[in-house]
Amino acid sequence: MRESLREPVYFAGALLAVAGCASLAWMPSRLQSQTRSREPKASAPVPMSRTTDGKPNFSGIYEWPKSIGGEQCKCSATIFDRKFFGPLKPGGEPFFEPPTGDPHHDEPRDFCMPAGFPSGMLSAYPFQVFQSKDYLVLVHEFQRMTRIIPLDGRKHHEDLEPTYYGDPVGHWEGDTLVIETTNFKRWSLDDNFYNNPKESRMHSDALRTVERIRWKDKDKLSYNLTIDDPKIFAAPWSQEFQVKARPDWEATGLLEYVCQENNRCPGGKCQGN
Amino acid sequence: MKSLLWVSLIAAGLGVLPPARAHHSFYAEFDGNKPVKVTGVVTKVEWQNPHIWFYLDVKGPDGSVANWGFSGGSPNQLVRRGIMKKVIQPGMTITVQGFRAKDGSNNASGGKVTFADGRSVFTASGEDKVQAEDKK
Repeated sequence: MRESLREPVYFAGALLAVAGCASLAWMPSRLQSQTRSREPKASAPVPMSRTTDGKPNFSGIYEWPKSIGGEQCKCSATIFDRKFFGPLKPGGEPFFEPPTGDPHHDEPRDFCMPAGFPSGMLSAYPFQVFQSKDYLVLVHEFQRMTRIIPLDGRKHHEDLEPTYYGDPVGHWEGDTLVIETTNFKRWSLDDNFYNNPKESRMHSDALRTVERIRWKDKDKLSYNLTIDDPKIFAAPWSQEFQVKARPDWEATGLLEYVCQENNRCPGGKCQGN
Repeated sequence: MKSLLWVSLIAAGLGVLPPARAHHSFYAEFDGNKPVKVTGVVTKVEWQNPHIWFYLDVKGPDGSVANWGFSGGSPNQLVRRGIMKKVIQPGMTITVQGFRAKDGSNNASGGKVTFADGRSVFTASGEDKVQAEDKK
């Protein structure tokens, strides 16, 4: 099935680039300079399948985003590379949080709390994309986390409580899908203490993320993630990851993952054998 | 606790880096300074998320038997590495290397399993998964 989606189709890149620039108008100025600087340079068209409405077809199973030569975690997940971090805002909320000794704070996932976004996106489990004209749905094996991205032009919700995964809306800029997410609660930015047991890296409730997804070549996505957190950073910053398509995993599909099923040692206190 | 005294606490032999997990930090549950190496007979296998657990009856020098529990990787990750539930079955005699639970109970991480015929399999570490894929 996957192979049938990979018939090479080529579109006029210049026309789509014009369309992409026009759609930047809605974006806050703090982000515009960042995202414009990340526009893919004109190059040879990437072979890709397209949906019936002419958009790049992202449907399929993928590995999790991998760093491109970046800092590696002492774990199986991916982490942000500190060389991309923007300058911290003077007097801003703390980015680094030391452990407090309370395992509920120090390692909430140990109690099956949500990974949240973007941390969960970087967890070492595959995800599957389902795409239609009006929605892109990302289903992750880890915690069976599901992100439903409206592509129908709607705006962000107003007056909702902040959440672990935020409130996403998406739009197309040429062959690049752009997802802007807001309304997060303060939570771990990437892996809780995986990278460094002495500190966790946090985002604030002012976090705004911008994901830019495009085919990099016939079996890899470019996944560019912008972190705009004005309570912590003086300026937005971005890191590009690589995401490999795994059509060979489609026969097995995503496996079930219920964290509460056999979580025997939460907080370092094991229940009996 | 006397039955635990025979357990090898190998400070240097098992390497410095503990096996890392995809669900939560290793440090949340296990003590990286307390490596263990245990040989026993498998009594039960729980092939469940977020981590597999398998249990061994371990005889001490005084003849007493203690049941130990070992936590491995998630079954999902192990399956994608080609490690299926049948690899560890009740009745098998195996040796497990890992790190002891922070609460001092008869529980530990189970990063490496060695079978009676000398074959071994890594049942945890996400890094092992990456290395295995790179070799494809």
